[in-house]
Amino acid sequence: MNIAAELLVVSFKVICSFVLAGAKWLVKPREKRVAGQVCVVTGAGSGLGRLFATEFARRRATLVLWDINREANEETAELVRDIYRETEPRRGSGDGVEDVPFYQPRVYTYVCDVSKRESVYSTAEKVRQEVGNVTFLINNAGVVSGHHLLECPDELIERTMMVNCHAHFWTTKAFLPKMLDLNHGHIVTVASSLGLFTTAGVEDYCASKFGAIGFHESLSHELKAANKDGIKMTLVCPFLVDTGMFQGCKIRKEIAPFFPPLKPEYCVEQAMRAILTNQPMVCTPRAMYVVNFMKTILPFDAIVCMYRFLGADKCMYPFLAHRKESTNNNESKI
Amino acid sequence: MMDLKLWGCALLFPLQIFLCVLRAAVRFLLPPRRKDLGTDVVLVTGGGRGIGRHLAKEFAKQGAKKVILWGRTEKCLKETCEEISAAGTECHYFVCDVGNREEVYQQAKVVREKVGDVTILVNNAAVVHGKSLMNSDDDALLKTQHVNTLGQFWTTKAFLPRMLELCHGHVVCINSILSLSSIPGAIDYCTSKASAYAFMESLTLGLLDCPGVDCTTILPFHTDTEMFQGMRVRFPQLFPPLNPEMVAQRTVDAVRTNTAFVVLPWTMHFIVALKSLLPQSALEEIHKFAGSYTCMNTFKGRT
Ligand SMILES: NC(=O)c1ccc[n+]([C@@H]2O[C@H](COP(=O)([O-])OP(=O)(O)OC[C@H]3O[C@@H](n4cnc5c(N)ncnc54)[C@H](OP(=O)(O)O)[C@@H]3O)[C@@H](O)[C@H]2O)c1
Repeated sequence: MNIAAELLVVSFKVICSFVLAGAKWLVKPREKRVAGQVCVVTGAGSGLGRLFATEFARRRATLVLWDINREANEETAELVRDIYRETEPRRGSGDGVEDVPFYQPRVYTYVCDVSKRESVYSTAEKVRQEVGNVTFLINNAGVVSGHHLLECPDELIERTMMVNCHAHFWTTKAFLPKMLDLNHGHIVTVASSLGLFTTAGVEDYCASKFGAIGFHESLSHELKAANKDGIKMTLVCPFLVDTGMFQGCKIRKEIAPFFPPLKPEYCVEQAMRAILTNQPMVCTPRAMYVVNFMKTILPFDAIVCMYRFLGADKCMYPFLAHRKESTNNNESKI
Repeated sequence: MMDLKLWGCALLFPLQIFLCVLRAAVRFLLPPRRKDLGTDVVLVTGGGRGIGRHLAKEFAKQGAKKVILWGRTEKCLKETCEEISAAGTECHYFVCDVGNREEVYQQAKVVREKVGDVTILVNNAAVVHGKSLMNSDDDALLKTQHVNTLGQFWTTKAFLPRMLELCHGHVVCINSILSLSSIPGAIDYCTSKASAYAFMESLTLGLLDCPGVDCTTILPFHTDTEMFQGMRVRFPQLFPPLNPEMVAQRTVDAVRTNTAFVVLPWTMHFIVALKSLLPQSALEEIHKFAGSYTCMNTFKGRT
């Protein structure tokens, strides 16, 4: 095709996608059904992972919970079972849900250290045999070392990278082939706003989250290039969430009321809506889109100015100090 | 009182931003003062060939006191070293795989003992596997991570403490524009470079209040070395591959003028800005049109 014609077509498509995005913004598209689909959640034992599990349970998906901590994982499974019982449709009742075939979802738990390649592959094999084809993969497991770079033990740096970034290679490689065969699936990456911009003192965490996003983007382009339109991807970038992971982290006192730490429930609710409407990316709160855009157009000095104004450049220092104190206390106790 | 201060800050804030933008523009037009490299000991990882080799030569040319090369292939290290020595700058080389933590720490010790304190660390060594996720070998994926990302953690941890003590130093990273705008078919590289970018940005922010110690990150587009051999962009007239000498010159200049981030060529800023503005489907259409979905099909790389 003539380049000029092609350019015209592309411009048209770009405009179309803007219109479409606008329309979606005004008229919320319908959420897709997930009942009976298999959903793997990594790091399901606590925080966001547990909430993702309960949200999927409410929509009657079959859940496969992965966590390194068996007890916490079982607790989540218990929660999920409760929800299954609560939401069970009454059989034979005449309230017009007959067209939905009755399906009793189940929950499966596996102990798995996602940073270990063999552990991921063998657990995934078990899932394939015991549960079946996986539709949803929620890459959620994450850790933070909480030390300044120069004080951080090397093993912890490696661990942060392995859990928050490299694990995505292994889980995705384990489940993607079947999704590709069926051209059906959904991969969700739970990153962080620290995957879009950084702050001082948490080099390893930022590196791992940026890496996860780089992976996510490259993979989504790969799927697009291979015309696998049936496999969706959603990137979830929450701002600081109130799960205790970053206890002590503070932005500027006067600005803080405008950016309160997110309630985990709210964050997962937003993420679920995005996932179920096949939205490629969701940042909570929305102001993060603006910060992200500003970051790409401003020179670095101006970005530093902006960070300083928000008190975001050193927001992790109190967290790091808090971490240090609590580990020191623990050590003295032992 | 508190409120007043906040309002003051809030009012000043747009002005401050405006000043910063203005300053950046002025810097673009009138070159600022350049620092002298006469007392600096430069270490270039992957200095044997490719961009690293040009970097080492450029640092020597612009007056660095000593140059140290790291790399895995002794032959090209030696060649480069001889070339630099012949031109009159003290040069040393050590065989060191930056993906291997123990080796980095050990060689760093050797460097300190034999040559002295490194004041400019250039993290340039990188590898690319250049396959799609399902075609990538697990070990290859990991290797790229270890060399391109973790390698920088180890080298920085090895040399930064001394720079902080001396209040004199510079950490330089040769990253890639792919860290901010990924393409399919090089998933290992995009992931590792995005990580490395975050590492540098976070480090730069952290070192803002350490006088004398600065950071520079260079984000070049496709450069004419063996690394991305075979990769074919769709509009080479519009986006010709960069010349490695030019990348090296711009890098040394950025170090001397203390510039934190340099995107080469600067037109790539548009792509990054577009990415944060466009809906995903529009971005995909543009990528497709620009040929980034097919550019890696012909990739051969270093063989
Ligand atoms: N070429 C491009 O299109 C392009 C574009 C953007 C950014 N960049 C970046 O520019 C930098 C240099 O690239 P280049 O084009 O010069 O690539 P190159 O020609 O392949 O050179 C890479 C250098 O890194 C060294 N190296 C690789 N692995 C190493 C390891 N584990 N330990 C120590 N040294 C190692 C290599 O030496 P040995 O093999 O002897 O160890 C070689 O000297 C890289 O960071 C790359 O990401 C390149």
